[in-house]
Amino acid sequence: MDGHGHTHSTSDRRELQMARSMCWHCQSEVSGEYFCDRCVKVQPVSKELDYFTCFGIPRRLSIDQQKLEAKFYELSRAFHPDFYQNKSDAEQTISLGNSAMLNTAYRTLRDPIQRAEYLLDLEAGAVKDIRTTPPADLFEEILELQETLDEFRASDRASDKAAALRTQLQSERATLEQRQRDMEAQILQLFGQWDALQDRGEATEQARAERSRILKDMRVILSNRTYVKNIVNDLVATIA
Amino acid sequence: MAYSDKVVDHFNNPRNMGSFKKDEEGVGTGMVGAPECGDVMKLQIKVQNDTIVDAKFKTFGCGSAIASSSLATEWLKGKTIEEAQQIKNTDIVQELNLPPVKIHCSVLAEDAIKAALADYQKKADSK
Repeated sequence: MDGHGHTHSTSDRRELQMARSMCWHCQSEVSGEYFCDRCVKVQPVSKELDYFTCFGIPRRLSIDQQKLEAKFYELSRAFHPDFYQNKSDAEQTISLGNSAMLNTAYRTLRDPIQRAEYLLDLEAGAVKDIRTTPPADLFEEILELQETLDEFRASDRASDKAAALRTQLQSERATLEQRQRDMEAQILQLFGQWDALQDRGEATEQARAERSRILKDMRVILSNRTYVKNIVNDLVATIA
Repeated sequence: MAYSDKVVDHFNNPRNMGSFKKDEEGVGTGMVGAPECGDVMKLQIKVQNDTIVDAKFKTFGCGSAIASSSLATEWLKGKTIEEAQQIKNTDIVQELNLPPVKIHCSVLAEDAIKAALADYQKKADSK
């Protein structure tokens, strides 16, 4: 099929996974180029396109931020609606769709937590459905905190009691934020494990088990982190 | 989205709110939560001669979560351990008329029941 060899190098080619294999405008074949070879019209990217592929980077959790940013600017120059103001409605619509997807992809990959969540969605499949149970001590902590919050809400804000409760809540906030940081550190550790496993590229039973373990651990920690984060937000909003 | 009358009733007049001492004789405690929505639910049972004589709950969450746990404690009272195991989240959904987006609240209540029963069993076995 590929006798020319040029498709092996995607870095400098204007190629992405596209929605259709034919140009919407001139009906000529487009094999991944995001501008039609013949009529030079912009093409819609596929909804199936995963963000890592979009930016031409491997599916790893530690990523080269500079490379990501450079690619983002490059693709933005290709798709940004500003460059399509004088073009047809169809082209404007495609530019808008591609740009929206690109922006979401960039925002997702730039942030380590969102990146991990996204990778889990891509990789996990079944793991995603595993309901996670935060550790019991976390519940106790949160239940107590909620009770204190209730008390604070019901108290007269000018009273000594409210002041004492506020101090207590501040210290609980610090504890929870520390907990959140600890979890983020744990996630970063898992990043390293995941990437190392991917780099080894083994297809053994052991590697598969390791893969599931990492994904599951990541899911658990991420979901607990969200839990703690929501509670902290609630706390901050209440005592503000 | 409107809550059903039964949810509103349980929310306004929650049954069996409160708690037992965790280490009290015959008490089983279930603590569950949903990280996605931040709900946390504590459900406790007090067992004598294999029968649940009392149940209490404390829930921080939406109206449906409160109603689900309130209803669960009502149902638990007077049931044997074995009967209590049979309570399903779908029963709660049906009774409270929960919409699809609130089904996870009933799942949480079922998990809390299971956790409380397991905790009671664990304590009973270790004697």
